[in-house]
Amino acid sequence: MTDAPPVEAVAPDQNDPAVRAAQEARLRAVWKPPSGWFRRWTDVNNNRVGVWYVLTAFAFMLFAGVLALVMRAQLAVPQNDLVSANTFNQLFTLHGSTMMFLFAVPMFEAVSIILLPQLLGARDLPFPRLSAFGYWSFLIGGVFVSGSIFFDAAPDGGWFMYPPLTTRTDLSGLGADIWMLGLSFIEVSSVAAAVELIVGVLKCRPPGMRLNLMPLYAWYILVVAVMILFAFPPLIAGDVLFEMERLLGWPFFDASRGGDPLLWQHLFWIFGHPEVYIVFLPSIALFAMLIPTFAQRHLLGYPWIVLAAVGTAFLSFGLWVHHMFATGLPKISLAFFSAASEAVAIPTGIQVFAFIATLWAGRVVWSTPLLYAVGSIAIFTIGGLTGVMVAIAPFDWQAHDTYFIVAHLHYVLIGGTLLPLFAGLYYYWPLVTGKRLSDRIGRTAFWILFTGANLAFFPMHLSGLEGMPRRVFTYPAELGIGGLNMASTAGAFLFAGGVLLIVIDLALSPTRAKTVRNPWRAGTLEWLALPEDEDWGIRSVPLVTSRYPIWDQPGFVEKVDEGRFFLPDAEEGRRETIVTSVVDARPIQVARLGTPSVIPMVTAAALGSVFILTTYHLYWWALAGAVATLGCVLTWLWTGTAEIPEKPCKAIGRGLVVPLYLSGPAASGWWAMFITMLADATAFSGLLFGYYFFWTVHPVFPKPGFDGPGAFWPMVALALTLASWTATVVAREFNARGHVGVARAGLGIACGASLASVGAGLAGPWTSGLDPAAHAYPAIVWVLAIWTSAHAGVGAICQGYALARSLAGRMTPTHDADLRNVTVYGHFLLFTAVATYLTIGLFPQVAA
Amino acid sequence: MRRLIDRVRGLTVSLWTLIVPPSVWAVHFVFSYLWAALNCAKVGHFATFPLLYVVGTMLALLTVVGAGIVASIQARTPGGDPPHEQSTDSDRLRFLAKATQLLAGLSFIGVVFTAAPVAFLTDCR
Amino acid sequence: MIVRSGSRRTDGGNASRPGGRGRAAAIDARVVGIVAAAALLNGCNRHQSTLAPFGAEAASTRTLTVVLLVAAVAIAVAMTLLIRHAIRAPAEALSHRQGMRLVLWLGGVVPTVLLFALLIGSLPLMRPAPLAPADLRIKVEGEQFWWRVITAPGPGQLVSANEVRLPVGRTVALELAGGDVIHSFWIPGLAGKMDMIPGRINTLVVRAQKPGRYRGVCTEFCGLSHALMAFDVVAMEAGAFDRWVAAQRAPSPAAATAAGGYRLFAGYGCGGCHAIRGTGAASAIGPDLSRYGARATLAAGILPMTTANTARFIRHPERTKPGVRMPAFAHMPPADAVAIARYLEGLK
Repeated sequence: MTDAPPVEAVAPDQNDPAVRAAQEARLRAVWKPPSGWFRRWTDVNNNRVGVWYVLTAFAFMLFAGVLALVMRAQLAVPQNDLVSANTFNQLFTLHGSTMMFLFAVPMFEAVSIILLPQLLGARDLPFPRLSAFGYWSFLIGGVFVSGSIFFDAAPDGGWFMYPPLTTRTDLSGLGADIWMLGLSFIEVSSVAAAVELIVGVLKCRPPGMRLNLMPLYAWYILVVAVMILFAFPPLIAGDVLFEMERLLGWPFFDASRGGDPLLWQHLFWIFGHPEVYIVFLPSIALFAMLIPTFAQRHLLGYPWIVLAAVGTAFLSFGLWVHHMFATGLPKISLAFFSAASEAVAIPTGIQVFAFIATLWAGRVVWSTPLLYAVGSIAIFTIGGLTGVMVAIAPFDWQAHDTYFIVAHLHYVLIGGTLLPLFAGLYYYWPLVTGKRLSDRIGRTAFWILFTGANLAFFPMHLSGLEGMPRRVFTYPAELGIGGLNMASTAGAFLFAGGVLLIVIDLALSPTRAKTVRNPWRAGTLEWLALPEDEDWGIRSVPLVTSRYPIWDQPGFVEKVDEGRFFLPDAEEGRRETIVTSVVDARPIQVARLGTPSVIPMVTAAALGSVFILTTYHLYWWALAGAVATLGCVLTWLWTGTAEIPEKPCKAIGRGLVVPLYLSGPAASGWWAMFITMLADATAFSGLLFGYYFFWTVHPVFPKPGFDGPGAFWPMVALALTLASWTATVVAREFNARGHVGVARAGLGIACGASLASVGAGLAGPWTSGLDPAAHAYPAIVWVLAIWTSAHAGVGAICQGYALARSLAGRMTPTHDADLRNVTVYGHFLLFTAVATYLTIGLFPQVAA
Repeated sequence: MRRLIDRVRGLTVSLWTLIVPPSVWAVHFVFSYLWAALNCAKVGHFATFPLLYVVGTMLALLTVVGAGIVASIQARTPGGDPPHEQSTDSDRLRFLAKATQLLAGLSFIGVVFTAAPVAFLTDCR
Repeated sequence: MIVRSGSRRTDGGNASRPGGRGRAAAIDARVVGIVAAAALLNGCNRHQSTLAPFGAEAASTRTLTVVLLVAAVAIAVAMTLLIRHAIRAPAEALSHRQGMRLVLWLGGVVPTVLLFALLIGSLPLMRPAPLAPADLRIKVEGEQFWWRVITAPGPGQLVSANEVRLPVGRTVALELAGGDVIHSFWIPGLAGKMDMIPGRINTLVVRAQKPGRYRGVCTEFCGLSHALMAFDVVAMEAGAFDRWVAAQRAPSPAAATAAGGYRLFAGYGCGGCHAIRGTGAASAIGPDLSRYGARATLAAGILPMTTANTARFIRHPERTKPGVRMPAFAHMPPADAVAIARYLEGLK
């Protein structure tokens, strides 16, 4: 059901205080968090889940920081023996991995979970249970990975874990599996967050907030979430290959059996380079919100910021080989990446100048958040300049893998990610707690942090150029860098002192009194929040006509508070928010949101068990865990999604009536499926890339002597997939026209065909006797076949689910979201099948 | 000419058209890398005057310029002065068109940067 | 679009203190000054530093480094002053149009021009030096945690370990291979680094310009003793180099198999991994010891060459290099270790 013409409905009288009080009581009741020592953890409201997320990520940051202090103590003097080489290797691996995977990315997700609904005048994110699932996955995976050091089993191959050192089970122990499997689990939660954020930004804005009025934070988050979709999956693909090699001996990276260590490097860095922009852009996004407040004017150059965000995102995918400048690839190839690495500085710089121009054109109000912001820009600029230096290959051939790079990366991360987060902390603390932090402590902490960072990391430029490699647990006195290292150690401890001060400031917060509403006199929607906590998110969803509604729209705050906009009530006792169109934010639906539930937590535990049990080679138990996960997911979907509402439409205020149910491309659930499948397709592309990469690097590929899988079975599998897809599309069309019986039959046929294609897909490699442990060629063929067959199996489950929903009356011709979403899955499955079966079945003939 | 401009102004402007210029850059980039890598791996060298590469680059540049011209025309739809921050159809159109125009400029620079190495590095070492 | 909301009071009584940026710059400068002074007082090393080049490639890169550093400092200072000015400027000093022009020119045009110039200027520096078929080749294979060095591979090749000798003034191609895991070959004073990747052979073309003794290191994390994997580099005048190679091909005069030290060497099975020209020991699994005594260091650039160090290393190599492949000889009497050490040191 799409755009129904608005029907005049009887509106409640918002002028009557009794009416308003009754509305607030109903809102409070329906948004009330669950209580009890266990049930409180089943909450899914973004304001609570976001806080857990922030605190957990912050704790991981402190943990990783302590690891760094131990490292710096070891490196303070030459030839020190404070810790052994084995311990040191675990320290630096875990420091980098924890900071990147358990702090930087989760922290931005956490901040967005809290902030985005507020910024967009929404009651919550579109899929609250998905956020909760993401949090629990992050917690379980994070504790698993970082806890390993207490068992002397931490990963120790560096945060990018280059094979063959890390894939050889005689050279690298359990830590490598913990890293690989623990982090794959966390990557799942990152993709879930990406889904949530994209749908939230595109579909859950307040009416009237067209794309040109969207807060810049939302633009940045949209861009970053899309980057996650294309950046994380190649690492997931690499993780699959890595674990297959470690657990089963399939030689993807073993040169003696046709593998190539560079394949891992490509897959890792296709993820790794965009990753650093993924952690940088959301922090800069905080500047885009606080600088207009402290310049008391609109941000200058709004389209330029959008250019900067989108441009940086695209260009960042063209940089990855600059991490591989020393690998001996042809110089012409390296040069493309050198060129792009220089080009990316242009959009990066543009946003800094937009901030500078805003301050210059405004009326500057000095404050602690602004101090942090300006200091961050200073530090980030130094990091950016050394970044341009290392973009030039001949310079990088000297600086690569030395402490110069350690200096560069810390300058950009501290200036571009960490200090901006502290700026955001001081700025947004009143939003979350209703209290201000101490300016005195904050500014003292800033100067200590600023001095400590420069003292710690500036000397590293020099020690690197003087010959100090990375990842060394000690260095000889003859290098003459003992003084530089001592300075770095002193700086590191000073920096830690600054962090400690901030922790103290946070700890003192409960003792302070509440402050006023909107203490910074900012102009954007999130500052509608009241110092006294209300769980409903916003009193009424506003109609927005400006980028800074609190500044520009007369009487705006009063109108929101008096419920004079949309959804001022919860008449049916349900949690609701408005879904709007993408470009012009016209309201198109009222979405009923997920309520507190134990399912996200249980699903996270089940999925986590699969990864953790596999790490310890307990494969049958892991399989049981997978079955349990499937059960949880199906229960979640069945009980919590595509609910047929009790009435078709609802009045949302101001005379507007919108549907309660949508299906197809306008619906948020359809988008969630589409976005998830984009990520899945990207991961598949990583595996497919592996096949063609091997073809590129081997003079003859497929390797002679490995005949398979032949053309017959792959073509049969392809035909079966095509049949399944056709039957699904037919089912969708017939169902929409009311021919439910035909539709159900179609789904049944589709399910059968999918299952058959599972067998047909595996039959090719199986019957041709390809041994995946013998050479990289059979290994990659098997991986592609297994991936495709597994996806076909999931497709069969999807089709079966849709059939069950139809039989149970939960899916009808007018309420067909399940079937439409399953069809989206089917499109992607077809694409995967075409790519796989044409490649493994027909490419060998072409290549010969 | 006026009719052409009006028809151009009538073309869709959306998030999808916004990312046309940088997508062209991305395709050109992948094309460049594959061209060099496959030539070096399979043939051992690439042509002294690489016609295929020059044509591909020209195509990319023309597409980006075209997208930029369309966006520029759309950005000059009659309406108020910048900044375009009213909640109106025309302001929303002009914002998206302006952002597309800027991206076209950046993408043009990006394609030129990407192609520069081919002028200087002529072998596979 | 300025906020209008009655009386304006800045927050918390902390009125305008926009000097923050200036103070930041001052602290920046002080820190840099302190570090620079520390560096100078420290004394830069001359044997493993990119700033003390002895090879053509490293010299050219150092010039590039200086140019880039000067430009970077200039830009950083300019940015600092600009930000300071922007914050201290009177209210609404810049109009919308002026602001947009700032963003376009300073944010867009100027960086584009500078970066493009940088790109065009640096691309020619990526071209490797021309290599003639007659140029010397030295093959280096990286192992955990040592280097196999084969000068002039082929008939008449010279096999050694943990020391690379180069002729001054001649182009040399270093053929770098990875044995077990990825290592990286780096002589900072000579040229940039190149990875040694199993399954590939990477060629690094270099040209030493100044004779002397230097040091190289492994720069790709390769396991427990990655920090302890280095090698000696000796650059010699071309004539002296040719004579040295010719002399080294022959067995050392002290390699007599009758010597007591050799009998212990063979008796403990050392020949199973180590080769000594002129004796029956010809295994290539471990470092070649034919001219062990002529090297300046042992254990891949880690310990000075002394009898005591050698003896200690033989009995407990894992104490010097955790994760080393050489097994310990804990039950070997110290006297035997010393005897073997003396024998090996005689192999000059």
